[in-house]
Amino acid sequence: MAKLNIPPPHGGELVNRVIEKRDYAESMAAGAIEFDLKPTTLPDGTPIRHVYREIMSVCYGFFSPVEGSMTSTDLEGVLKERRLESGWVFPYPILLDVSEEDIKSTGVKEGDRLLLKLKGQPFAVMDVEEIYKINPEEVATRTFGTPEDNPEVVREPFNEKHPGYMIYKLMNDHVIAGKWTIVNPPKFREPYDRFWLPPAECRTVIKYVKKWRTCIAHQTRNVPHTGHEALMKNAAYTGDIEPCHGILVNAIIGAKRRGDYPNEAILEGHEAVNKYGYIKPSRHMVTFTLWDMRYGNPIESLLHGVIRQNMGCTHHMFGRDHAAVGEYYDKYATQILWSEGIPSFGFEAPPNEVDKGLKIIPQNMAEFWYCPVCGEIAYSESCGHVDQKQKFSGSFLRGMVAEGVMPPKVVMRPEVYKAIVKWWKVFNYPFVNKKYLENLNASLEVDLEPMEVPKA
Amino acid sequence: MPVWRLTLSQWRYQKLNGVIKMVHYIGVILDESRYEQIKGTEIEEKVQSIFGGALKMLVVEVPEDKSNQILKAFDRARIDSRGFIEDVPVAFRRAVFEEIVKNKSLDIVDKVLERLSEIQELAKKEDEYIPPPEIE
Repeated sequence: MAKLNIPPPHGGELVNRVIEKRDYAESMAAGAIEFDLKPTTLPDGTPIRHVYREIMSVCYGFFSPVEGSMTSTDLEGVLKERRLESGWVFPYPILLDVSEEDIKSTGVKEGDRLLLKLKGQPFAVMDVEEIYKINPEEVATRTFGTPEDNPEVVREPFNEKHPGYMIYKLMNDHVIAGKWTIVNPPKFREPYDRFWLPPAECRTVIKYVKKWRTCIAHQTRNVPHTGHEALMKNAAYTGDIEPCHGILVNAIIGAKRRGDYPNEAILEGHEAVNKYGYIKPSRHMVTFTLWDMRYGNPIESLLHGVIRQNMGCTHHMFGRDHAAVGEYYDKYATQILWSEGIPSFGFEAPPNEVDKGLKIIPQNMAEFWYCPVCGEIAYSESCGHVDQKQKFSGSFLRGMVAEGVMPPKVVMRPEVYKAIVKWWKVFNYPFVNKKYLENLNASLEVDLEPMEVPKA
Repeated sequence: MPVWRLTLSQWRYQKLNGVIKMVHYIGVILDESRYEQIKGTEIEEKVQSIFGGALKMLVVEVPEDKSNQILKAFDRARIDSRGFIEDVPVAFRRAVFEEIVKNKSLDIVDKVLERLSEIQELAKKEDEYIPPPEIE
């Protein structure tokens, strides 16, 4: 086997649409029509998405080659076969959705420049290429699939209990399409600032600081238990002529479903794994991507592939029930996608074997459980004591945490638990609840400096 | 073999062929204080030791019709990959343990269901605040 190296960015080039120089930024924003970005909310007012996270991820290159809010042609290509108009694979609609009232009150039309404001300050500009109508429910349904149209992996119709489905279903019915450019780069607050590593910088760190030739990505939306740790350590044995040099943990940060752990605890929980030597820091690094998780199992795994390839990873580990919630998809839907493809979603072959597909190499992993006979955490495909297995369960652990029971260290590292308790004390609650989501929506992960924009 | 120890393919095969009647489970973690409350009773014999003896747990069997009632009562409750009912309020777990102690039995699902409205009231308060543990 030949030695591997960092793959090229998806689409060939990293998107970088961030203007740091204030005078250039001001001249770009001058005279643009102002528009305040708003969250997507549930009928009871609970915020479930903020488009600013998508703008950040696009402009800093996490979602390369996507450069902005999708045109109707891009949207149709993504919904039909997960391809942009350019032919490159991309899984999800990325849209700046607005109401008819917004269109009327701003008077925006194709060819105009919009100044998108966040927390009252200028944030980004976009040149409007197209304004079109969508049926949000249809977008939601086609994004995730149906048992009839996608029988390979969809087991149940998506409904109002699915957080990702609701994000699309509750969108406004007009879309403003066009490329985004950040003109007032936000500053991340503690603890996010310690983990913010956009793709261009991440590639540099991997290559020149960490000196990793190969690197396997670990997707997370959870604080790690020892089953996750075993997954990371064992999946990293893949590589080329030697195991992967590095493990890149990339947490998805944004609004999550109620009952998940707070973003802050997730980041510091993973950090504790390397800080306290369970995986040494020279081999393990924690980062994040801003994205309001859609819980789309195989569809989400495609986005994970895009993000982590852009960040410079050679491999991506995928476990059972990847990025899933409920029983909507087959538990192995992601692994089916990456091992044989899902034709009804546009993949006659795995995403890394199709034209204009991904270059990142999948590592499909089965399960880890505690085996009392082996006396260790065992891999399901190796351990023969199936009858005695004791499975890890995130929800079982959440129940233990809620009851105030410190999980034993064979299940969760004490330092990881302490990270949970640290943020529990801050929020008076160990998990995401409505109040957490409201506070997060009000403060976001960032602050913006005041910026005066010259009038036209 | 208990259903929660079957592999997914074994479970699917048995379910499809009607070999198993669906049963779910509630796991009750026993810390020291809880263990003291059942020590010396016949329940003590039913304590399972998991994760190499690091945790003690009682497992309550819940027939499918009753697990559906529980899932309906708590919007975030779910069956996890082991067949356990999880993401239920702390108040629910406490009530399960209280009924076990009171009845000295694991056959207490009906008793807990009788208390559902009281548990739901307590659970509402949990949406806002759960006291953090005091650890160093």
